[in-house]
Amino acid sequence: MKARIVVGEGSCGLAAGAGAVYDALQAALTADVPATLGITGCIGMCYLEPIVDVYDAAGALHRCVRVKPEDAAAITAAVKADDFSGLGELLISAEDETFLSRQTRIALRHCGLIDPEDVDDYTAGDGYKALEKALKTMTPEQVIEEIKTSGLAGRGGAGFPTWFKWNAARASEGEEKYLICNADEGDPGAFMDRAVIESDPHSLIEGMMIAAYAIGAKEAIVYVRAEYPLAIVRLTKAIGDARAKGFLGKNILGSGFSCDMRIKAGAGAFVCGEETALIESLEGSRGMPRLKPPFPAEAGYWHKPSNINNVETFANVAWIILNGGAAFAAMGTERSRGTKVFAVTGKVKRGGLVEIPMGKTLRDVIFGIAGGIRDGREFKAVQLGGPSGGCIPASLLDTVIDYASLQATGAIMGSGGMVVMDDSTCMVGVAKFFLEFTTKESCGKCVHCRIGTKRLGEILQRIVDGEGKEGDVELLEELCETVKAGALCGLGQSAPNPVLTTIRYFRDEYDAHIRDHKCPAKQCRPLLTYSIDETACKGCSLCSQKCPAKAISGERKKPFKIDPAACIRCGACAAACRFDAVRVD
Amino acid sequence: MSCCNHQQVDLSLLSGVLEEYAGVKGSLITILQKTQEIYGYIPVDAVYHIASRTGATPAKIMGVATFYSQFRFQPIGKYLIMLCKGTACYVNGTERIFDAIADELGIGNGETTADGLFTLSVVSCLGCCSLAPVMMINDRTYGSLTPDKTRKILRELREEAAKE
Amino acid sequence: MSEIKLTINGIACTGTQGETILTVAERYGIVIPTLCHNDAVAHYGACGLCVVECEGTPKLLRSCSTLAADGMVIHTEGERCVQARRVALELLMSDHDGDCQGPCRLACPAGTDCQAYVKQVALGNTKEAVRIVKQRLPLPASIGHVCPHPCEKDCRRGLVEEPISIALIKRYMSMAELQDPDRWVPERAAATGKRVGIIGGGPAGLTAAYYLALKGHDVTLTEQMPQMGGMLRYGIPQYRLPKDVVDAEVAEIADAGVQMENGVKLGRDVSFADYRAKFDAVILAIGAWKSSPLGCPGEELGGVYGGIDFLRSVALHEPLPIGKNVAVVGGGNTAMDACRTAVRLGAENVYVIYRRTRAEMPAAADEIEEAIEEGVTFKFLTNPAEILGAEGKVRQVKLQVMELGEPDASGRRSPVPVEGKFEYLDVDSVIAAIGQKVDPAGFDVELNRRGIIAADESTFRTNLEGVFAVGDATNRGADIAIAAIGEANKAADVVDSYLRGAIVPYRKPFVSKRSLTKEYFADRERIARVHIVNRPAEERRRDFAPVNAGFTAAEAMREAARCLECGCHDYNDCALVRHANRYEIHPERFAGEKRQHTSETELVTIERDQGKCILCALCVRVCDEVAHQGLLGLIGRGFTTVVKPEFRDSDAVKVCASCRKCAEACPTGALKILK
Repeated sequence: MKARIVVGEGSCGLAAGAGAVYDALQAALTADVPATLGITGCIGMCYLEPIVDVYDAAGALHRCVRVKPEDAAAITAAVKADDFSGLGELLISAEDETFLSRQTRIALRHCGLIDPEDVDDYTAGDGYKALEKALKTMTPEQVIEEIKTSGLAGRGGAGFPTWFKWNAARASEGEEKYLICNADEGDPGAFMDRAVIESDPHSLIEGMMIAAYAIGAKEAIVYVRAEYPLAIVRLTKAIGDARAKGFLGKNILGSGFSCDMRIKAGAGAFVCGEETALIESLEGSRGMPRLKPPFPAEAGYWHKPSNINNVETFANVAWIILNGGAAFAAMGTERSRGTKVFAVTGKVKRGGLVEIPMGKTLRDVIFGIAGGIRDGREFKAVQLGGPSGGCIPASLLDTVIDYASLQATGAIMGSGGMVVMDDSTCMVGVAKFFLEFTTKESCGKCVHCRIGTKRLGEILQRIVDGEGKEGDVELLEELCETVKAGALCGLGQSAPNPVLTTIRYFRDEYDAHIRDHKCPAKQCRPLLTYSIDETACKGCSLCSQKCPAKAISGERKKPFKIDPAACIRCGACAAACRFDAVRVD
Repeated sequence: MSCCNHQQVDLSLLSGVLEEYAGVKGSLITILQKTQEIYGYIPVDAVYHIASRTGATPAKIMGVATFYSQFRFQPIGKYLIMLCKGTACYVNGTERIFDAIADELGIGNGETTADGLFTLSVVSCLGCCSLAPVMMINDRTYGSLTPDKTRKILRELREEAAKE
Repeated sequence: MSEIKLTINGIACTGTQGETILTVAERYGIVIPTLCHNDAVAHYGACGLCVVECEGTPKLLRSCSTLAADGMVIHTEGERCVQARRVALELLMSDHDGDCQGPCRLACPAGTDCQAYVKQVALGNTKEAVRIVKQRLPLPASIGHVCPHPCEKDCRRGLVEEPISIALIKRYMSMAELQDPDRWVPERAAATGKRVGIIGGGPAGLTAAYYLALKGHDVTLTEQMPQMGGMLRYGIPQYRLPKDVVDAEVAEIADAGVQMENGVKLGRDVSFADYRAKFDAVILAIGAWKSSPLGCPGEELGGVYGGIDFLRSVALHEPLPIGKNVAVVGGGNTAMDACRTAVRLGAENVYVIYRRTRAEMPAAADEIEEAIEEGVTFKFLTNPAEILGAEGKVRQVKLQVMELGEPDASGRRSPVPVEGKFEYLDVDSVIAAIGQKVDPAGFDVELNRRGIIAADESTFRTNLEGVFAVGDATNRGADIAIAAIGEANKAADVVDSYLRGAIVPYRKPFVSKRSLTKEYFADRERIARVHIVNRPAEERRRDFAPVNAGFTAAEAMREAARCLECGCHDYNDCALVRHANRYEIHPERFAGEKRQHTSETELVTIERDQGKCILCALCVRVCDEVAHQGLLGLIGRGFTTVVKPEFRDSDAVKVCASCRKCAEACPTGALKILK
C-alpha cells in the first residue's frame, strides 16, 4: 500500500500557508516516492497549522506540524525511506497530542480525517448509512423520537430541544415545508460551523436530509455567510456529488422521499443569525426580525412551516441515528446531553476547535486542553457566546459547561465562541467592543436596540476615554435592563449581556476608569502615561526613532525622556525598547 | 441615491443574471451579489435596470442593498483589505494594525487610496481566530500580524502593482 | 370566531380569537400608547411603547401584535411597562433633532406662540394673530409697546442676520385689531358659580382675571389706584405706552366678564379676612411698588425720590418737583423711564448714575440709545456716596468713582470703589431707580427671607388656604410684565383646577430643542430686518407722544415673512411629544450623537425632515401596503438608517400619486404636506 500525505486545508491552514506547503510537497513528490498527496479539512489544532498528516504504508500516522514549504523535501524523503524519526521538531509533540486525545468528537468526527471534496471518502466510512437507515427502517415519527431520546438541543446558542422544533414543523399543516440550516455563523470569535462545512460537508447534508424526512420538507436551504467562500465552494461541490449519488433530490435512495437542497449566500448581517431575520433575508428582503408568534414552525419561509437549526446541530444527527439517541444522551449532564464544540481563541497557548462532553468545566477546556494562558500572563476572563454572551471571571472557572450553569453566570453557552482574556485585556474595553459590534449590526427596527445599544456604546466610550461620570455604571445597568426587556429580537435582548457581566465581575475596573482615571489593564490610551525608567534606559535612541509623534528626545548613551504633552500613547516606544525601560502607568 | 457618483456602466453585462433570476421569487440578494461580482460594486444604473426587470421598486432594492455590509456603492481599489475586528483579533490588538494601515495608506475604514490601489474595509470576523490578528487582501489571508509586518505586506503589494 | 375573555387593568374584557390585546383594550377605552402601530398596515413592533404585562409571563408583551388569549390578566400601566416606555421615549428623543416650539416661544415667559401669530400677520390675518396671542396674553397691544422682548434675543433669524421684530409685529397686529369693530371675541365657558377675588389690577391680576372669567368663574378684580393697569399705567411713561391703549385692553378684559373695583385698598377699605370670606379663592397680585432706598447719607433730603414714585406722580398728572438738574440712579428700564420722563418735563441736565459700564446695563439697548439721543448724560462707573443739601433740600450729589473688578456670581464684573476718588454733581433732585420692593402690609401671609410673598412654584399657593399669589409680589420679586403675565396664566389654570375640586400643579412641558449655530445658516438668503424710524429726538423730548408710529401693515407683513418657522408644524398633533409629556421623560440622560440628516423635498407635495423621523416606518409601510406604490425605502442599517424616497431624476415624482397617506400616518412632524 502506498503512503498518503494529507495537507490540512481549512481556512486557517490555508491562511497559515498550507497552500504553499501543498505545492512544495507536490513538487517534491517525484515518481520515486511511493505516496499519494491529498487534502483534508481542519483538524482543529489551528495553533499548529499548517499540518501535514503522513500515513505510512502500514497506515500509521505521522503528524507534522507548523510545516513550511522548505520542509517538503524532508517529508518526502522520510516517506521514501519509510523512516520518520529524522523529522524531529516537525513531528507533533506528545503534549500537543493531548489537545485531541482529551476531546470527544461527534460533530467533528470526520474533520481533518477525510477529504471534504470527495464523497467517496465519506461513504468509505459510515457516510450516508444513517440516512439510509432512517429512510428505509424508520418512520418520521421514529426519527423524531430518536432525537428526543438523544436530548439534542439547538447548538446555535439558545439550546432549544431539537425534537420539539421538528415535531412542531411536522405537525404544522401544509404540504409545502422548508428545512433551513443557519450557517450564518456571525459571532466574532466562532468558527465551528465553518470548520464543519469546510471539513465534512456531507455530514451536514446527511443530517439535513434526515431532518427533512422527519418534518416532511421538500426543500432544504443552507444560509451561509458570504465571508466563508471556501465553505461555499466545498458545500456546493458536496451537494452536487450527493445529488449525483442519490443522497438528495428525487426519490432519495429509492425510498420515495424527495428533497432537494441549495445554498443561499448571506450578504453580511449579523442579525440574520436570528431565525426570523434569516427568513426575511432568504426571501430577498432586509434582514429585519419579524414579531413572534407566529413561529417559523407555523409560518416561516414564504409563510410556510419551516424548521431552522444550525450546522453543529445537524452535524450530530447522523451519528445519533446510527448509534442511537441513548448513546448520545449517555454523554453530558442530566439537563445538557451530548457534546459541544468550542472555538477556543484569545490568549491561550493552544487555540483551536475543542469538542467535549457537556459537564466538563471551563478550567478543563482552558487549562486542560488549551494549555492555559500564554506568555506567562494571568488568566482574567473567558468570553462565551459572543456579543450575546458574557465574560466569566477566574473565580468561576470551575463552572460546569451546560446550558443552565453557564446561564447562571450571566453568560450563555452560545454557539461556541470561547475567547480567553488575560490581564492585559481591559474589561470595559471588551464591553465597548461588543456594544460597538451590536450597534453596527442592529437592524434598526426597534428603538431599544437601535438607539439603546448606541447609547450604551457611547457611555462605555466615555468611560474608556477617561470621561466617565459617577453614576454612569448605574445608568448602564438601567439601560441594559430596559433594552433586554424591550428589544424585539434576540440580538437586542442579549446585547447588554457583555456590559452586565463585566459590571458584575469587574466593577472595580469600571470604578478605576471613572474615579481614578486609570485603566488597570493599561489598554485605554487616554488614561495612560508613558515614561522612561532612567535606571533601565541605555540611551540607544531606538524609541525616539520609532516614535511617530517625535515625543521622545535625549542624547545617545544617556536616559531618554518622553514629552507627555506630545505623546500620543501609541506604545511604539514600549514595543521597540529592548531593555524594558518604557513604563506605562 | 445622492451617495453615489454617477458612473456609466454597461448594463448588458447583467442580462445573463437577470435572465436566470429575474423571475425567481426571493432572489434579489443573489442578483445584487452577481451584480457586484460583475462591476465590483453596485452602480445606481444597475439598480434601476434591475428594478425595471424584476418589478421591485428602486427604493426597495436600495433598501436591501444598503442593509447588507457586503454591498458597496463605489468602485474599490485593486486590493481590498479586509481587516478582521473579531473578538480574538480585538483581544490580540487589531486596533494597532488598523492604525498602521491607516497611517501607511492615509485612508480610513471604507476609503480608497487616491491612486486607486487599496480599499480598507474593517469586517466583523473572518473566522481565522487562531491566527489573530488577521486581514484578508483579495483572496489571501494574512495572520499573526504586527504593525511592522502589516506595513511590509502593503509595501510589497505596492511594489508589485508598480511593476505591472 | 370563538369568544375569549380576559382582564385588562381589572376590567373584564371580551374579544374574539385573532384580536390583539391592543385592539381589545381600545374597545374598552383603555389607552395603550404606540407610535408605530396603525390599523391600516400590518403590525411591526418597532417602538416598544405598547408593551404590557401579562400575569404569568415574565417578558413584557407587545400588545400591538400579541393575540389576546382566554384567561389573560393584563396590566398596561405597571411599573415595568412605564419604565420601558419612558426609556424608549428618552432614547427616541435623544436622537430627535427638531424644535417642538420655536426659540422665540420658549424664550417668552408667557409662552406666547410668536411663530404662529407672526405667520398670521405675514398672511395678512391679524384677527387670527390676535386670537392666537390672546391664548396666553390678554394685553398684546400694551405688551407690544413695552416688552423688552426676550423672544427676539433668541430668534434664530439672528443667526442669519437680525432677529424678527416680534414686538413691533405684535404691537401692529394688536393695534389694528383694537380699531376693528369686528375683532375676535373670546367665548366664555358656562358659569361655575365659583367666586374668585383678585387683588391688584396690574398685568398679573388682569391676566389671571381674564382667563378665570373665560373659564366660567365669577371674578372680581380689586385695585387700590383710581384705574386698572398697575405698572403699565402708573410705571410706564405715556411716550412708551399711551394710556388709551391700556384703557382699551382693560375694557376688553372687563367685557370678558371681570368685575372691576377701583380705589379699594385692602386693610383700609376692607379687611383681608372679610375679603377672603367673600371668595372661593383669592389671588394676590399686588406687585412691587416700593422703591428701594439708596442707602447713603442724605437720602432723607427733599428732592430725593423713588423712581416708581416719580413715574406714578407723572401718570397721575401731579409730577413731583425735580428742578432743572436731575440725577437718576440705576441702570435698568425704570431708570431709563425716569430720565427720559425728566427730560420731557423740562429738566435741562439729566444724569444717569450707574456703577458699572454701558455693557452691563440691564436696560434695553434701544432705551439707552434713545435716552442718549434725547440728551441724557450717562455717568458710568460712579455711585452716590452722599447726597449733600441745604435747608433740607438736595444741592449736590457726591459720586464715588468705581472700576470693574472680578466677575461675580452672575458673571458680570462687579464694581469696586477707586479709593479716595470722588466727583460732584450739582443737582436739584435725585431719583433712585435701583429696584423695587414688595409692600405686603395688611396681608397676613408668609414671606420669604427677602420679605416677598412666598408662593409654591408650581401651584402658586401661599400658606393660607385658598390664597394664591403671582407676579412681582412673589418669590423672585420684580421682573418684566410678560413674566408676571406668564405666571398669571399658569396660575389661572391651577386655580381653575382648584375650584373644580382637584388641584393640578403647573408642570413645565417637555419640548425637543435643537441647538444651531451661525454656520448652520451660512447658505441662507439674507433678508434685512425692517427698521422703523423714530421721531427726531429734538422733537420727542418736548412731548409725551410715542417715539415712533410702529409698523405699517406692509412693513409688518414684510417683516413677518422673514420668519424661519423653527417650531414644528405638528406640535399640537405629535404623538411623540404627547407621550413624552405623559411619561415625564429626561432624555438628557442619554444625550449622544444624533443621526446625520438633511431635510429633503424630493417628493413634490411632501416635505421631509429626517431629524424628526423616528423610523417607525409607517410612511414606508403605508406607501407599500395601502398606496401600493413602494416609493419609500429604509436605507442603511441600525442607528444610521434613514427613510428615503426614490432618488433619481423626475421618475419618482411622476410615480408618486401624491396621495399624502404617508404624511397622514406619520406620528411626528417628520412629514409635512405642502400646499
